[in-house]
Amino acid sequence: MKLKPVKAAEAEGAPVETKQKKKFFEGGIKGLIKKYENLGYKAKKKVYHFISRLLIYFVLIEMAYLFILPFIYILSTSMMSSQDYMDPTVQYIPTSVSWSNFVKAYQALDYIKSFFNSMGTSLLSAIFQTVSCALIGYSLGRYKFRGRNVLFILVVLVLLIPPQVMILASYGLWADLHLVNTWGPVVLPAVFGLGLRGALFVMIYMYFFQRIPAVMDDAARIDGAGPLRVFGIIMLPLVKSAIAIVFIFSFVWHWNDNYEAPTYMYLEGKQTLQPRLANIQNYFNKYASSQMMSELDKALSEPMLFAGCLMVMVPVLIVYIVGQKQLAAGIERIGVIE
Amino acid sequence: MKKPVKLKKKLAHSKRYSLISFEKKRSLEGFVFSIPWLLGFIGFVVIPLVLSVRISFYQTVLTDLYGFQGTSKFVGINNYVKVIQDPSVGQTVFESFGLSLAKVPVIVAFSLFVAVLLKQKFPGRTLFRVIFFIPVILAGTIMTYLFRDGVGQMSVFSTITTGVQGVNTFFGTVMSNIGSIMWASSVEILIFLAALQSVPATLYEVVEIDGASAWESFWHVTLPYISPFVILNCVYALVDSFVASDNPVMSIMNSMTQTGTKYGQASALSWLYMLATLAVILIFILLTRRWLK
Repeated sequence: MKLKPVKAAEAEGAPVETKQKKKFFEGGIKGLIKKYENLGYKAKKKVYHFISRLLIYFVLIEMAYLFILPFIYILSTSMMSSQDYMDPTVQYIPTSVSWSNFVKAYQALDYIKSFFNSMGTSLLSAIFQTVSCALIGYSLGRYKFRGRNVLFILVVLVLLIPPQVMILASYGLWADLHLVNTWGPVVLPAVFGLGLRGALFVMIYMYFFQRIPAVMDDAARIDGAGPLRVFGIIMLPLVKSAIAIVFIFSFVWHWNDNYEAPTYMYLEGKQTLQPRLANIQNYFNKYASSQMMSELDKALSEPMLFAGCLMVMVPVLIVYIVGQKQLAAGIERIGVIE
Repeated sequence: MKKPVKLKKKLAHSKRYSLISFEKKRSLEGFVFSIPWLLGFIGFVVIPLVLSVRISFYQTVLTDLYGFQGTSKFVGINNYVKVIQDPSVGQTVFESFGLSLAKVPVIVAFSLFVAVLLKQKFPGRTLFRVIFFIPVILAGTIMTYLFRDGVGQMSVFSTITTGVQGVNTFFGTVMSNIGSIMWASSVEILIFLAALQSVPATLYEVVEIDGASAWESFWHVTLPYISPFVILNCVYALVDSFVASDNPVMSIMNSMTQTGTKYGQASALSWLYMLATLAVILIFILLTRRWLK
């Protein structure tokens, strides 16, 4: 577009275009204009690039502030002593770092046991969902068969059913199977591609599989690969980024699940971290009296609470930062298809 | 001359009936891949759903909440009638629907905007991607702690918006909603990011040679290419706000189950609510069907 006026001038074309050119570069010398135009395209692009980067940084930093402030708040509060927390003059930077919050939170969370339960359910569910949702997503994304549309509608339906509709009946069923207070109710649905937001993962996989050109599996089939081989060796490596997304989300959501897992696993020692965190403030008060905690006590235990929050979210943070690399690698792989 | 023709006909004829055709084999494969999910669907969705329909027709009084023991008697559609006649329930449902529908376009537009920015190549973008994922990491119990107003101190989100609220209350509320919208859009940002990366770079090169500006290439290349993901994100954002635990309808349901006597009503309400959300989403999908392909 920007080269057009030059061409027009060279060809001595329509008079309208030369008029426009004169308006645009008022008072310029003809020879210089040509040079400027030829050099200017690159220079202009550089300036444009610089300004756009500046704008991106500005907007992103502005928004990142909103996202990062609560994180900083948790970090700083968890290191404050109770006095610092109640003192309005102390903001964000505590006068002295008190590690006792973490020790207390460690006790109140029953950290080792709860961590084991949380990690076990989240990791197993995430692995199972990553595999099983890929199967059904592959079937929906790459095959046309009778009932495919019905199947798709069923998947959408599962996505739309609020867990509250089923939880009473499900609880009864799990109780009949004597699986309450085990990892079963959380992990078993994941084995079949259901479970926490399983339907969403199916849809993510479906859209990613649809993107792959049909040439890919036709070529493999002509070379004599069976359906399982096509799926495992050709298709799965092509949707690496979908795998990364599904695994990360599944893990994080199971880790943060404070509705279903706590309902099924409520006994002391069987609980995950989330319900322990929800009751962390009552822990040290449990034996004192049956009364509710006073407001002051609650406020004083606030730093301990945020220390607990920090301890709960660290594993998830690690999973994301590690997975981020996989995600980027998978994304590069997608470009190769074309 | 007659013989070979006959043979050909016979062969074609016998093939049709003796062997499974290529297409049939393929479709069978597709079905086999979906069998595990179907089994799970029956076990973990259909059976509980049928049971929950049963619960909604009974009046149940639980004596032991965890052991799931109690008495129940059949009351027919009484539970449904009670829920529908309750004016506060109806009002809450309509309000939450309006709020969700208003929120979704903003969430999707915002997350697309952020994803487009994060897709650019610049130093430090991995750091920004981590930052925009923070709400997902802080979800669950931690989120409720952050949005709650502590004793003697305001929640982090109120401190962000108090400065604005001082200027104008309308803008203050808008700003605080923007905060919650931004915090609800992490998943959408990541889905969009992956979708944007899947747009082939050659397409951009082609339109750049044709002289399209960045703005034009966004509207004519990026958006058509990722349109299924836009719909997917819209549906996801809708469902997310319908099912969110801070949705007022959900809290009504939870308070009903906690008493231990209104299980039937809670089930009835959850069924009505589910059907209503289904209707809304089906209408949405029907309206946007042509962008899904």
